[in-house]
Amino acid sequence: MRMPTKTMRLFDDLLESPQNTLVEQASQDGRIPIGYSCAIVPEPLIMADRLFPVRLHATGVTGTEMADNYLSSFVCSYTRSLLEFAMDDRYEYIQGWVFVPSCAHMQRLIDNLEYLRKPAFSHVIDVPRKVNDVTIAWMVEELSMLAENLSSHFSVDLGDESLSRAIAEWNSFTEIVRSVGELRKRTHPPLTGTEFHTMLMSTLASPKDLIIPKILDFKQEVQQRGSPVDYRARLMLVGGHLHDPGFIRIIESQGGLVVADRFCTGSIPGLMPIEMNGDPIRNLAEHSFRKTLCPRMMEEFHRRVESIIETAREYKVDGVVIEIIKFCDLWGVDAMPLITALRKQGIPVLKLEREYRLGSEGQLRTRVQAFIESMGT
Amino acid sequence: MTLKEMARIVRPILLGIPGQARHIAQHDVPELIRDVRGFTARDFLVFSKYWLMCWLCIGKVVLRRGPIGFTRELLRYPWMLHLLRVTKLMRRLARGRHGGYLESICMAVYTVAALLAENLEEIFYHKDSLIITEEMVPPDIARAMGLNVWMLEVMGILLPMLSPEGTLKYIDEAENAGINPDACSLPKATVGMILKGHMPTGLAMVSSNMPCDAGMASYSYIEQEYGIPTYRLDVPHNFTDERAERLFAEDLKGMIAFLEKHTPGRMDWDRLKEICEGRNRMLELELELWDMIRLRPAPLAAEAVILSHMWHFNLWAGHKLSIRHYERLVELARRNLAEGVPAMENERFRAVLWNPPFPHFIDIFNRCERDFGVVLINDSMTYNHHTPIDTSTPDSMVRGLSTVIMQGPMVRHTRGPAQNYLDDIFRMVKQFDLDMVWVANHVGCKSGQAINGILREKCRAQRIPLLVLDYDLLDPRIVSQDGMMNQVEFFMENVMKAPRLDQETIPC
Repeated sequence: MRMPTKTMRLFDDLLESPQNTLVEQASQDGRIPIGYSCAIVPEPLIMADRLFPVRLHATGVTGTEMADNYLSSFVCSYTRSLLEFAMDDRYEYIQGWVFVPSCAHMQRLIDNLEYLRKPAFSHVIDVPRKVNDVTIAWMVEELSMLAENLSSHFSVDLGDESLSRAIAEWNSFTEIVRSVGELRKRTHPPLTGTEFHTMLMSTLASPKDLIIPKILDFKQEVQQRGSPVDYRARLMLVGGHLHDPGFIRIIESQGGLVVADRFCTGSIPGLMPIEMNGDPIRNLAEHSFRKTLCPRMMEEFHRRVESIIETAREYKVDGVVIEIIKFCDLWGVDAMPLITALRKQGIPVLKLEREYRLGSEGQLRTRVQAFIESMGT
Repeated sequence: MTLKEMARIVRPILLGIPGQARHIAQHDVPELIRDVRGFTARDFLVFSKYWLMCWLCIGKVVLRRGPIGFTRELLRYPWMLHLLRVTKLMRRLARGRHGGYLESICMAVYTVAALLAENLEEIFYHKDSLIITEEMVPPDIARAMGLNVWMLEVMGILLPMLSPEGTLKYIDEAENAGINPDACSLPKATVGMILKGHMPTGLAMVSSNMPCDAGMASYSYIEQEYGIPTYRLDVPHNFTDERAERLFAEDLKGMIAFLEKHTPGRMDWDRLKEICEGRNRMLELELELWDMIRLRPAPLAAEAVILSHMWHFNLWAGHKLSIRHYERLVELARRNLAEGVPAMENERFRAVLWNPPFPHFIDIFNRCERDFGVVLINDSMTYNHHTPIDTSTPDSMVRGLSTVIMQGPMVRHTRGPAQNYLDDIFRMVKQFDLDMVWVANHVGCKSGQAINGILREKCRAQRIPLLVLDYDLLDPRIVSQDGMMNQVEFFMENVMKAPRLDQETIPC
């Protein structure tokens, strides 16, 4: 096993607590952290002027006893963990919340947060579940309302110019991350999936401008590595929220190298560039729909399948692992036709049900090991 | 279908006959005798009339199709055998009830049978104009277009009412195929029925984002399996303003254009006007009924109110029989009110049921009336914020229907802020002078589960007794009927301090 490098240790540290050193540094500089919990939220909108986005995570959560009293234990553990942290005042530093009622669980998380810890600023984007001209126009209105509310509440500039600057900054950030991700296409990638995901998660949990130099350091370090990573099979991960890199670490400990990540907190296709010409809000609205391949989008099943197949081919993947947080109805139900569609294409698939926090490691190891052996690699 | 396949289907049916016969002799017949003994002569005549009418409906379907044709249909849709238990359902619900209340219950069951027979004939004879819809998509528009509608989830709800284990094999089938076991059992049963090939297919399909994630997501699979053109309605999260109404009305127009493209159906606005006027009439009657059941003691209650709404408003709004049913319900309630006859003599507590009812234990309120004097006055699936549809123009009708869908039960309660859910409960408590709130805590309904904490605290603050009754919508293996009754008993004894009626000591 490769020893963690200096930048990797830094990324690990950034993920230890929602209020990491870079968030603290930005807050001390008078900048405003805005928390969000769904990939549909367009980050550049909450990157303009003094705002910066923080993807809400509850890495290190040990239990959800308080949250279970309200959300029940039959709800996805990501939402329960967020509520637990919120009830424990772990998000005190967050000055505003932007939500999408992407599923029933997330919707009830918003309700419970409003009831238990009403944030000073909270906004819900009503995102349609299908894409056409009418719903894009609706989404443009929704994002305009968000911009207006943010602007009046925090006295920040969210005009066209400011937004265009934020989009440009976001595009250059994603270009750098994508260039690191591209290294995984190599037959012998110089970095592991765990390392890539640790880096990616820390970018989601930190101000972009402050984390960019660290990513560049990491990229340089990776490019200078002598020995490539050893593996038995190249895997692609598909599913919902995955925050803890430990999950990938376990998969990789069995010889499965994760080279592609098509999940909410992954890089594919979430980091594709945003169009710079024209109305920035419209560009953000269209981009949000284009990059969202969540089963909440009712008419996107074929696009979802095609995107997975295309990515699997592009990254020369041997098998796909679908990871689903227990009780997630969207992924849980959708996985059934998804698995059939992928197997029809000759792609081996493993479906893993898991909790938000890492657990049942032995079981996970055994299943991954059996999957890799079943592929004959 | 090959002979081998036919034999595979027929064999378990034939093998089951001796067991069924034994069950009828040992349980059904003694139960029937016991129940009938409890009737007055008039009650007996009323019950017999509706019993006979149910069998006439069934007989008509069988005779019209002919023995060979019907056998073929039975092999295609084996769940039809469960429908023979409709009079047993009537008997279970009629138990211990009398007079106008008994008649209203029998009538509700009969109208289910009569309209279901009509629906079955549509799938037997009119496949060329049949479309498939999801449970929350009202068929009004499609019917106005001259199309026949089969709502996929209907059997998932009806079968457990007729036989509690009616959907289990379908649930198992879906779980074995890979659907997550913790999903709601209704989409699981529906998917299972499709996997087994026990559902009809149509020319096109209309689904939606309602009422829940699992229901919505299941249509990805159903679309793959059927391979027919599909349109999906999308109710916005914040549906209460003009902007949302405009968006959803446009969506409905998109659905009309889609159906005109993919089916022979053509929009007949005059027909839609008739249907909407029929719906308005039913709404008017329902509101009058609600006004009467607000009074203590209620002149009618339970299934007369909730089963009627569930069946007639969701599937058959504007149908002549549905309007007639509501007219008769109101007549019966008026008569009981005028004569001072309560639905239930021992109305001790008035309850509302929140969330989906208990299909596999549909007579739970019958038991609770007799055991504890708890009368179900209304439920969340019935309670709505509908307003009459303006039938003056095609646009106003589409707009009106869009509001009916968005403000309808479940749709209204599963989206938007929690106030949509909570405020309705407390409004109902006042409106219907209720003593307690029952939450049907369906294990697969995450949206409902995740709001119980807030509801509990709010009920406590307002000193409203709350029973959160754990169960699974269709699967009695999760919580059995006994398990459900134990929860009720525990609540009645410990929270309400009200022992069973038969254990109460009569004061000297």
